[in-house]
Amino acid sequence: MNDVVLSVRDLSISYLVRRGRLKAVQNVSFDLHRGETLALIGESACGKSTLNLGLMRLLPKTARIDGGQLIYTRRDNTPIDILKLKPRDLRRFRWQECAMVFQAALNSLNPVIRVQDMVYDTARAHGETNRDRVKKRIMELFRLVRLDPDRVFNAYPHELSGGMRQRVLIALSVLLEPQILLLDEPTTALDILTQRAILEILKDLRRQLGLSIIFISHDLSIAAEIADTVATMYAGHIVEKGPVGDVFYRSRHAYTRGLLDAVPKLEGDAQELASIPGSPPDLIDPPTGCKFHPRCGFATDRCHDDLPALIPVGAEHHLAACWESDQVYAVTQEKREHARATAD
Amino acid sequence: MHAQPLIELRRVYRNFRQGRNTVPVLQDINLEIYPNEVLCLVGESGCGKTTTGKIIAGLLNTSSGEMVFEGKSFDALEGEAKADARRALQIIHQDPFASLNPSHTIEQILRFPLRRHKLAENNAALRRRIWELLTMVDLTPPGDIVNKYPHQLSGGQRQRVSIARALTVQPRLIVADEAVSMVDVSIRISLLKMLQDLRRRLGMAIVFVTHDLALAKYFAWEGRIAVMYLGRIVEIGPTPQIIQNPSHPYTKALIAAIPEADPDLARSKQPMPLRSEDIPRLTEMPPGCAFHPRCPFFVEGMCDVAVPELAPAPGYDQRVACWPLNRGEPLRLHDPTLETS
Repeated sequence: MNDVVLSVRDLSISYLVRRGRLKAVQNVSFDLHRGETLALIGESACGKSTLNLGLMRLLPKTARIDGGQLIYTRRDNTPIDILKLKPRDLRRFRWQECAMVFQAALNSLNPVIRVQDMVYDTARAHGETNRDRVKKRIMELFRLVRLDPDRVFNAYPHELSGGMRQRVLIALSVLLEPQILLLDEPTTALDILTQRAILEILKDLRRQLGLSIIFISHDLSIAAEIADTVATMYAGHIVEKGPVGDVFYRSRHAYTRGLLDAVPKLEGDAQELASIPGSPPDLIDPPTGCKFHPRCGFATDRCHDDLPALIPVGAEHHLAACWESDQVYAVTQEKREHARATAD
Repeated sequence: MHAQPLIELRRVYRNFRQGRNTVPVLQDINLEIYPNEVLCLVGESGCGKTTTGKIIAGLLNTSSGEMVFEGKSFDALEGEAKADARRALQIIHQDPFASLNPSHTIEQILRFPLRRHKLAENNAALRRRIWELLTMVDLTPPGDIVNKYPHQLSGGQRQRVSIARALTVQPRLIVADEAVSMVDVSIRISLLKMLQDLRRRLGMAIVFVTHDLALAKYFAWEGRIAVMYLGRIVEIGPTPQIIQNPSHPYTKALIAAIPEADPDLARSKQPMPLRSEDIPRLTEMPPGCAFHPRCPFFVEGMCDVAVPELAPAPGYDQRVACWPLNRGEPLRLHDPTLETS
């Protein structure tokens, strides 16, 4: 059985900057399964957006893929090496196989043409010239994302609110029935109630279209809500990856632990929270060993000297790159026990 | 409990011109802020929370209504009294990249207000005060910071400089307008803890403007929250009550909609269905309660007729602007089949 749609192996991406090479993504490996929602979480400049762009080969000219392999499996099970695609095939791959929704919905829509023209242009660019068929499909999708199809179809982007634009983009992104949807902070600039609507829509879409989703966010709570699998990124590395419950409740990496301790919850009484000391590292001249060790309360000499590998820990499919993962786990459990005791 | 509020907003309205239109951004805001207290203004974009913050900081005039500073009308103050009020009210902006002059060093940035308000007798005292301020905001050792330019600091460090600059004039109130929303999640809490610590030590009130209700809960647990919707305060009261026993349907909807950083909690949460997802435009406000077109508990002939006043509601500690609640009636789901002709 092969249900892996996207297999990423040892992907490294760097940018050429004045001071040297900025290593934005380092030896990242993961598999995305059919119907899986993977959340990549991390703070600004952790490499999550670069990774996302790299998956579609949409990187700017100053970026370089230093190594690795990207294998995509089509619906008929033929594997495709994304890094070896010729420009024509790459265009086909983008949007028909793998589509992307960017953060700034306003900037992603052409302000001087109507939504319908954007829809037809997109379809035509990918060889679909039957306008009736395209219209029928997009109207269905507009309904699916809870938009008034007739109103939106004839509208200019400026006539739509931020949340409506984001929904137009989501509908447009699945117009050509891609297998994979990449979402870069899709709810960040939106209001809470609009964000809620988008999350519900994504859940519907995933169920009805069987999409595999990679979801990039700095917001742990959104990952908690819709992800099946969560991967934490720090300084260009995936440092922990596993089923959402394992990563949140049985964290094995000190950085994930630290992030969870820094996010307030609505539920319950006043909380004890703490920031992670220090600030993210310089990716041109990163620290030795584990990139997190200068900020980590668990760090030992080994963390300073050697880079830990992303290896299985605890439950099945739970991976962490942390020399002290057992210690982190012990502290996590202690905190849960404590929380449970005080709640009772 | 308190003798005199530091700031009072009395029936404050604020309009902005937009081409030929007049946009009513704030309507009938009544608010008291007491010395040393924490008040969070919470709401979505366009609700008027930043405008309210700017009026409190004395940076924006009201269109009508009054801003009262320590019992005296702010607009009527003159001379030294006005200067004192201006010093007492400070603001920290959202974007630390935009609020610090990129061509000045940190020392110059902090020296300017100290000189302008003659808060140091000589250069040695000036330098001592700058050192002291940087230490207060945990930018240590100050010697490493003073000669740097803003671009050489991280976002979190820059926001600390903004705070130090606000502290130069020994304010009695700081408006923090989304002060941590551009700072990475992992270091937000340390900034908030520092603000709370400074507030207690220096005896200041903080008005914290945010769209993030969970953050408001954390920051203002011992203070109050005011929830704003389309230019009005719809609910105000002690933080634990607002979060754990929200009364206004809009607050209820917000709290039900916020995702939690906890998979089990997030997945067991029931969002509150609204009658409409569209927010009315400020230029085309619905009659009556501004939330009624979206409110699932809307009562025809009441909510769509007149604007409810912020008033006590039986069974709640907070004040709320909601017709049924103010009358002591339970919220009943609006039945759409009753909507005839």
